[in-house]
Amino acid sequence: MTRLRPRARHFRILVQAGFLLAFVPLFWGLAEPRVPGAAASILLALDPLTAIGTALSDWSIARWTWIGLVVLALTTVLGRFFCGWICPLGTLQQLVSWVAGPERRKLPKINRYRRWFAIKYIVLTVLLVWAALGANHLGWLDPIPLLHRAFAAGIRPLWHGGASPGGWISFGLLAAILLLSAMIPRFFCRALCPLGALLGVFARLAPLRIRRDPGGSCTSCTLCVFACQGADEPLDKHRVSECHVCLNCIGPCAEESLHYGIAGAGNLLPTPSLDVGRRRFLLAVASSAVFSPVLRATGGGIYSRTHDAIRPPGALDEEAFLSRCITCGACSASCPTGVILSDFGKTGIEGLFTPILDMRRGWCEPSCIRCGEVCPTDALAILDPDTKQAIGGPAEVRIGTAFIDRGRCLPWGMETPCIVCEEMCPTSPKAVWLETVEIIRRDGKPVTLQRPNVEPEICTGCGLCENRCPVGEQAAIRVSSVGESRDLRNQMMQRKLKVSAKQV
Amino acid sequence: MSEKNLPVIDEYRAIGRREVLRQWVPPVIAGVALAGLGLGVSGRPGRHQPPSAEALPRPRDWRIDPEAEGQIVTACGRGPTTNLHQALAALGGIEAFVKPGERVAIKPNCAWDRKAEQAANTDPELIGELARLCLGAGAASVTVVDNSCHDPRRAFTRSGIEAAARDAGASIEHQRSTGTVRLNLGGSILGPWKVLRPIAEADRVINVPIVKHHSLSRATLGMKNWFGAVVGRRPNLHQRIAQVCAELGVAFRPTLTVIDATRILTGGGPTGGSLALVRPTDCVAVATDPVAADAWGASLLDLAPDDLPHIAIAARLGLGTADWESVRVET
Repeated sequence: MTRLRPRARHFRILVQAGFLLAFVPLFWGLAEPRVPGAAASILLALDPLTAIGTALSDWSIARWTWIGLVVLALTTVLGRFFCGWICPLGTLQQLVSWVAGPERRKLPKINRYRRWFAIKYIVLTVLLVWAALGANHLGWLDPIPLLHRAFAAGIRPLWHGGASPGGWISFGLLAAILLLSAMIPRFFCRALCPLGALLGVFARLAPLRIRRDPGGSCTSCTLCVFACQGADEPLDKHRVSECHVCLNCIGPCAEESLHYGIAGAGNLLPTPSLDVGRRRFLLAVASSAVFSPVLRATGGGIYSRTHDAIRPPGALDEEAFLSRCITCGACSASCPTGVILSDFGKTGIEGLFTPILDMRRGWCEPSCIRCGEVCPTDALAILDPDTKQAIGGPAEVRIGTAFIDRGRCLPWGMETPCIVCEEMCPTSPKAVWLETVEIIRRDGKPVTLQRPNVEPEICTGCGLCENRCPVGEQAAIRVSSVGESRDLRNQMMQRKLKVSAKQV
Repeated sequence: MSEKNLPVIDEYRAIGRREVLRQWVPPVIAGVALAGLGLGVSGRPGRHQPPSAEALPRPRDWRIDPEAEGQIVTACGRGPTTNLHQALAALGGIEAFVKPGERVAIKPNCAWDRKAEQAANTDPELIGELARLCLGAGAASVTVVDNSCHDPRRAFTRSGIEAAARDAGASIEHQRSTGTVRLNLGGSILGPWKVLRPIAEADRVINVPIVKHHSLSRATLGMKNWFGAVVGRRPNLHQRIAQVCAELGVAFRPTLTVIDATRILTGGGPTGGSLALVRPTDCVAVATDPVAADAWGASLLDLAPDDLPHIAIAARLGLGTADWESVRVET
């Protein structure tokens, strides 16, 4: 066996810095059409829970997400290297606890393992059971989607019409995670992270791990736990499931007897079992299974057709969409007009953080298919731009229909000329058309008005009319989800539809 | 109370400077960052006053000779590049309008996520050639700038205007890439408005609209094209659109108005889309009279000057003449 020198730790720091810094251009790349969508969302595909979540809830492993399973396979050999070397949220926490963490002299005590760190296994169990029952909520706490969503839904909308509740909650979660890491280093990774829990379970199989030389002694000096990231205590025994493979224990060991390598009979530190008793595990499985349908009944699933919950173009039919969406916010980050928000409240708990469109902030650009391109799980399909533009005839892909509120509309209700919705309407022929009337105004003057109407067969629901309507706060023309091409039941007009096998 | 019952005070521990820094610097940084974030979202505290129009500067007058009577030249049938050359030659060439060292802003209609052949945006070849001529005349910089209605990056890319401008050596700017300057537009409806910085700060401005149908103003031409120079609540400007167009014409006095009629959009404007709405006309007009320019453009859509109320208002305000044939210069 070659002996890894303390250098390995420095190499690990470089790799971590690389992935943290890579997050910035990758996140920027989500909105840049010249960057391939799969490349911009590569961190989300690397996350094993992305593939596992959709595999459980949708029986599918979409696009590039299978590479997460490679990470999982590597974990069974190397241990939780993803946590210690790759995860940008882990690195951020490490950075915070390094800059503003507890005093060094307190670290040996703080970095000890606590039994309640096993909560993360319960979190994982609950989320996996929910996913298996069709409610894929892994993204709520899965660190990679959480980090993306915090910036995509929390920060980016500040430039597109101001903060949104779903975004603030996601960003607040990130802020809380970072603040907690100032008290207990990597608190989230140790106690709550469902991805860490999953990788921890698989890391128990890893032949490569922290081992002690045969004959190497331990004086219980606890120097190894000073900078330990996972609270895995490589003392007399070693909790492999908690170890982040940060290698911080190897250098400081006073007896120079700790190393990372294949552990055999002579140098294997005993591995304690996970602190999740069978009874507790079964209770978690049973209670989450019982609770899952209740969650879905709060507004999601088949009853989710609310008028103002408009999904991005290319979204699958609602049930399939919800089972695939990991609420990563990549679509929000990718949208050139900032129309896509993280939902809070409109689609119930089932749809918490899922993307919905707010046309007062933006609109769906006619030739743009970026949200579908960056979606890691195919919850939003990659479209042909021609299918959503309605040039020369109705569009195949529609996200809703615009309705005119005649009481608020200037020419309908206020005797005032205005044609902005018609002017902006990007379909050809225009879905918004004008009827010309001559009326005598209240003050006795004649005025010619052009009153807008919507032809629902042509309207794609892009929302540019609602976005530009001069009537403040609530526009006089608003898009509803009815007529969306993804849902055969959410219709009002009879029309010939291209029906996919899946929808029937 | 006897002395024995007094609380025992722990020994005072000397706290070093380093420890104080360590304890206080991170929370102070976090606190300042949080307050800054909150301020950024909620805005400055204190009394907020709407800006007064009087204190603001007016847009510059970009004409060469404000006293001279306006003219118009039209050229047809030889493609946008040659048409432009011919029309400009009749007015003394671009050198008569752009002097060495001047910063030139070109204002196309680049509002829509549409391709050139759909005739919703100004022809890219014409924009490219105009930029090339300005740089050839010694312009220090040429910026092609618009406030697009669709996503500006997509509008500039898909219209071909970005590529044409870059090929010519000009830069592009739009509402996402550049800032604004608050100016007083000085009208009865148009008061303080934000104007795109490259236009507000240019030495010469060339307005290059395309001739298109518009359901409210009948046609969108040169004066309506200034909607793309301002940033703000533009939808509200449609309630008295003729007056607004004329007031924009008063506020913005371009060096030249170049009307692109390479293709014109005869219906479904200003967005168009279907190629059935596009009519190839292969004409370009160059004018120093913005009213004559709009009147000529309207004639291509079979509209008389009287059909466009803004033309009459603009003529009354002294911007030029609706009788474009009277100020026409033969090529």
